[in-house]
Amino acid sequence: MTIEKIAVIGAGVMGSGIAAHITNAGIPVYLLDIVPKDAKGPKERNVIAEGAIAKMLKTQPTPFMHRKNARLITAGNTEDDLEKLAEVDWVIEAVIENQTIKQELYQKLDRICGPDTLISSNTSTLPLKILTADQSDGFKRRFMITHFFNPPRYMRLLELVSSTELDQQLFKTVSDFADIRLGKGNVLCKDTPGFIANRIGTFWMQTAVLEAIENELTVEQCDAALSLFGIPNTGIFGLLDLIGLDLMPHVLNNFKQVLDPEDRLHSITEVPAILETMIAEGYTGRKSKGGFYRLQPDGKAKVKQSIDLQQGDYRLSKRFKIEGVSRKPAGLRQFLEADNPLSQYVWRVWSTTFIYAAELIPEIADDIDAVDTAMRLGYNWRYGPFELLDRLGVEWFIHKAQAEQQHLPALIANGKSLYRSESGIPEYQDTAGSYHPIQRAEGVLLLSDIKLQKPAILENASASLWDIGDGIVCLEFHSKMNTQDPDSMSLIQQSIAKISAEYKGMVIYNEGEHFSAGANLTLLAPAILGGDWDTVKSIVQLGQNTFRALKYAPCPVVAAPSGLALGGGCEVLLHCDAIQAHAELYMGLVEVGVGLVPAWGGCKELLGRWLNLPKRPGGPMPPIVKTFETIGLAKVSRSAQEAKELLYMARTDAISMNKSRLLADAKARTLSMVKNYQAPEHPVYPLPGKSGWATLAVGIDSLHKSGKASAYDVEITQQLATVLTGGDTDITQSLTEQDLLDLELKSFIHLVQQPATLARLEHMLKTGKPLRN
Amino acid sequence: MKNVVIAAYARSPFTPANKGALMTVRADDMTAQVIKALIAKSGIDANDIEDLILGCAFPEGEQGMNMARLIVSLGELPISIAGVTLNRFCGSSMQAIHFAAGAIQMNAGEAFICAGVESMSRVPMGGFNYLPNPELYQRYPQAYMSMGETAENLAQKYNISRIDQEAFALLSQQKAYMAQQQGLLSDEIIPIVSQRGETIAQDGCLRPDSSAAGMAELNPAFSVQGSVTAATSSPLTDGAAAVLVCSEDYADTHGLDKLARIKSIAVSACLPEIMGIGPVSATQKALQRANLTLADMDIVELNEAFSAQSLAVLHDLPIAAEKLNIDGGAIALGHPLGATGARITGKAASLLQREDKQYALATQCIGGGQGIATILEAVS
Repeated sequence: MTIEKIAVIGAGVMGSGIAAHITNAGIPVYLLDIVPKDAKGPKERNVIAEGAIAKMLKTQPTPFMHRKNARLITAGNTEDDLEKLAEVDWVIEAVIENQTIKQELYQKLDRICGPDTLISSNTSTLPLKILTADQSDGFKRRFMITHFFNPPRYMRLLELVSSTELDQQLFKTVSDFADIRLGKGNVLCKDTPGFIANRIGTFWMQTAVLEAIENELTVEQCDAALSLFGIPNTGIFGLLDLIGLDLMPHVLNNFKQVLDPEDRLHSITEVPAILETMIAEGYTGRKSKGGFYRLQPDGKAKVKQSIDLQQGDYRLSKRFKIEGVSRKPAGLRQFLEADNPLSQYVWRVWSTTFIYAAELIPEIADDIDAVDTAMRLGYNWRYGPFELLDRLGVEWFIHKAQAEQQHLPALIANGKSLYRSESGIPEYQDTAGSYHPIQRAEGVLLLSDIKLQKPAILENASASLWDIGDGIVCLEFHSKMNTQDPDSMSLIQQSIAKISAEYKGMVIYNEGEHFSAGANLTLLAPAILGGDWDTVKSIVQLGQNTFRALKYAPCPVVAAPSGLALGGGCEVLLHCDAIQAHAELYMGLVEVGVGLVPAWGGCKELLGRWLNLPKRPGGPMPPIVKTFETIGLAKVSRSAQEAKELLYMARTDAISMNKSRLLADAKARTLSMVKNYQAPEHPVYPLPGKSGWATLAVGIDSLHKSGKASAYDVEITQQLATVLTGGDTDITQSLTEQDLLDLELKSFIHLVQQPATLARLEHMLKTGKPLRN
Repeated sequence: MKNVVIAAYARSPFTPANKGALMTVRADDMTAQVIKALIAKSGIDANDIEDLILGCAFPEGEQGMNMARLIVSLGELPISIAGVTLNRFCGSSMQAIHFAAGAIQMNAGEAFICAGVESMSRVPMGGFNYLPNPELYQRYPQAYMSMGETAENLAQKYNISRIDQEAFALLSQQKAYMAQQQGLLSDEIIPIVSQRGETIAQDGCLRPDSSAAGMAELNPAFSVQGSVTAATSSPLTDGAAAVLVCSEDYADTHGLDKLARIKSIAVSACLPEIMGIGPVSATQKALQRANLTLADMDIVELNEAFSAQSLAVLHDLPIAAEKLNIDGGAIALGHPLGATGARITGKAASLLQREDKQYALATQCIGGGQGIATILEAVS
């Protein structure tokens, strides 16, 4: 059985977001909602679902990986279109959290849908046993809970709640689909209130809010201090603003009704007075006029304000910086031990969260790994609570907690580390104190697991080479933000020599948040500031030669990027035989932002792709214009799907939806290319020279005069135009790769000597943002 | 010498490029439909047509090869009709009329279809492979100057304020909207059927909701410090237009309508950086050749490439408001480059009849620094 068509009922934020993400997998989907009461005529019967699609096309960050995916959604309504669901393979119910409404809908679906259509609910509060009460056995056989997180495209967690009655084949089909096609991290939950992530998440957020109020701390202090522990930079109050403050009373009230009075969360479900006041005044978060943070009303300039938790009025928000705290375990322990209100606050928030999470095993999940995975993928924590506790040290924690007479659950009290590696196999501890291997799904290959088993083949400060089996190696970047520097270049060259002699192929992959943020500007800066142009030139040539060697390596090289791949990071990818990309790939040649042109072969490779695109418009200019626009505007893809459209990725490159499967997919791709592998042929470039340059120059001039390009943008893009049109060539001649690389180098060296480029570089290093001068 | 008359005029709807209904229609397809309808409307025996003279400013891609000859086949017209595609940018299809008039007077044919087309959606302005001469670009860049910039130059040279430009554009919008509402445009419009079978029957560029306040909020389109905006420029447009040009004897013998007689024609040239002033010298030449004065002109169709450009021309050629573009101009109706000359000449001829007037002038500016003008007189 395969899933080829899906329906989502309920076009609210969650339902429509789930539908959009299904289209990202290339699957057609029905999106149904009710007929509005005031609908006039047949054209207005689908307006709720249609409105939701239109709204999503304007939402940022965008729920769609490509605008055209929206066409895969068919809008409808639950009165006219329910019968159409007879043909779908999976129905996801995402209607209002009302037991009666849901159950009535299920009865209709049970009648309409085929026997092998899985029906699931996206409920976040209602237990499965209540939803299936009084439903037929046939219904129970094909019903489960699939709880997505908002926004569904970006949050990887999918909580699954199954039952003993559920058909195991159906469960496998849907969970495999969610894993492989939707890219979800499936976590099996028990049928308990709030499942895993929201149970612990709500406890953590509510504790953080109540403690902040009680200890008279500012929202900025709390957000900054909690962020030290690997939670997103929004902190706690920024996160609540995102979620919507008005949701909290409902969530808390629901937990209060269904949880045991002995439960730690039950005892902290009161809604703080300040929150009630804010909600009453319409401060419900980012979706309204603001929440704990807001932009100063009526002000033309963007002035950020935050609420005073004691007084309830808004004042200028001042960024709170915590100086001198290392995020390594020793530094964090030191911070938590410090005798000041902020440290004590953070200790209370985390220590109670750790204890509460430990108390909930096995009530909400069988093991600690499920809880940690849920918090990582559902709340974007860098470490789940047990992983964080393990990092801080279980014995250290026991010592500090016992000093406060805190009662510790058995899982923690034994003092053993919660995770360990045994003979290269990662293991977790159960409540009885025994260790078990962490199970990876079939087809999941993690470099972090491989690293536990054997040492690197090659390594230096910026990169390492690992044997991932079957004759394939994995080149890993691991400098800060995985930037490119002479060390990484050196390791690429050593790796090519190594694989040529001993291996069959290479994957370039890492498990950082971002594949590579580009060239390491910090290393380049001293040479530029010192006017040491020979050194700058040698660094440029090192990159050109290294990446070219990668391109012509005697065995296949497949890159497997995820997250950002910018500048030099993008150029590495452009030189690989193939890309197996994670769907969330933000790839682009952004050098003009720092006043430069790509000079490690980026111009040459992207131009080559446009020149060789089958069915491209004829004549010399279209490929040049496309490449010029892409590099000149520093276009960055907002998904791998968009990267293909920009030709950063080739049409034949592939996309993995699930990041955990990326390495295995890339390895398989490499192996498929091994037999009869031949390095690419050396291309030639017929370019129009100065005539083509004049074409682009006329356009640049117009952009400048109309205020769309600064005077220095003109200088940079004229240099880019020189490279892309082949310099002083003629259309009747053909240039080689080396000619193009020489042009890149010449333009780079020219630009890097300009004070305006220096200003752009300095600004980027200082602020991380591009300067327009 | 033989008298030459305009016997019929028709055009497609004009719709905005890249968003209007005609964006999905090829230039040759829409032109073939307009010409077939023009022939039917005029009652001419198509076998008598000597040549199809077709103006197009970017004759490449779908507008490439010799589009005129291909349209003869596409429109299933008699295979005996010859075809030539010519390019004088915005003056192309008025030039087609001039060529036909010359040929008739040379006894080189009795009847000609003079048409023009531009799909600015499907063939971008500048074409797909624009390659300027790099030496000329360095030495004399104004030869390649953008049209918007030339309008800014005229605004400066003639000290034309932004508010005057906006008032001119607003008036054009109002005149076109009134004409549309009163059904004064429907006679000339030939509904176009797209490949998908949709019928496109209405002009799409008009902005009847334009207001002075709304216009005032727009950013300058071509120069940061400039005064020319999208509202005071003619929009990129898709459309086709055609007129039937024949000898007066032929029209009489075959009982065709005679909308107007061609009295005189002229082209002229000026500096490319102020190309918009081209109509001044072209008109002066044509008036002199007709032995008439500007005051004799009862109807004037002056192509509105830009408000600033039109106002600069009006500074040198004072034309009474009630004579000028009485059904609106290109700022409101649109400006499919190759088609405009046939539209304004056909329009001027039709207006002579409708308004029962004696003389009409149709004139336009041309990129690169040229002007073109045609003087028509009523056939009593």
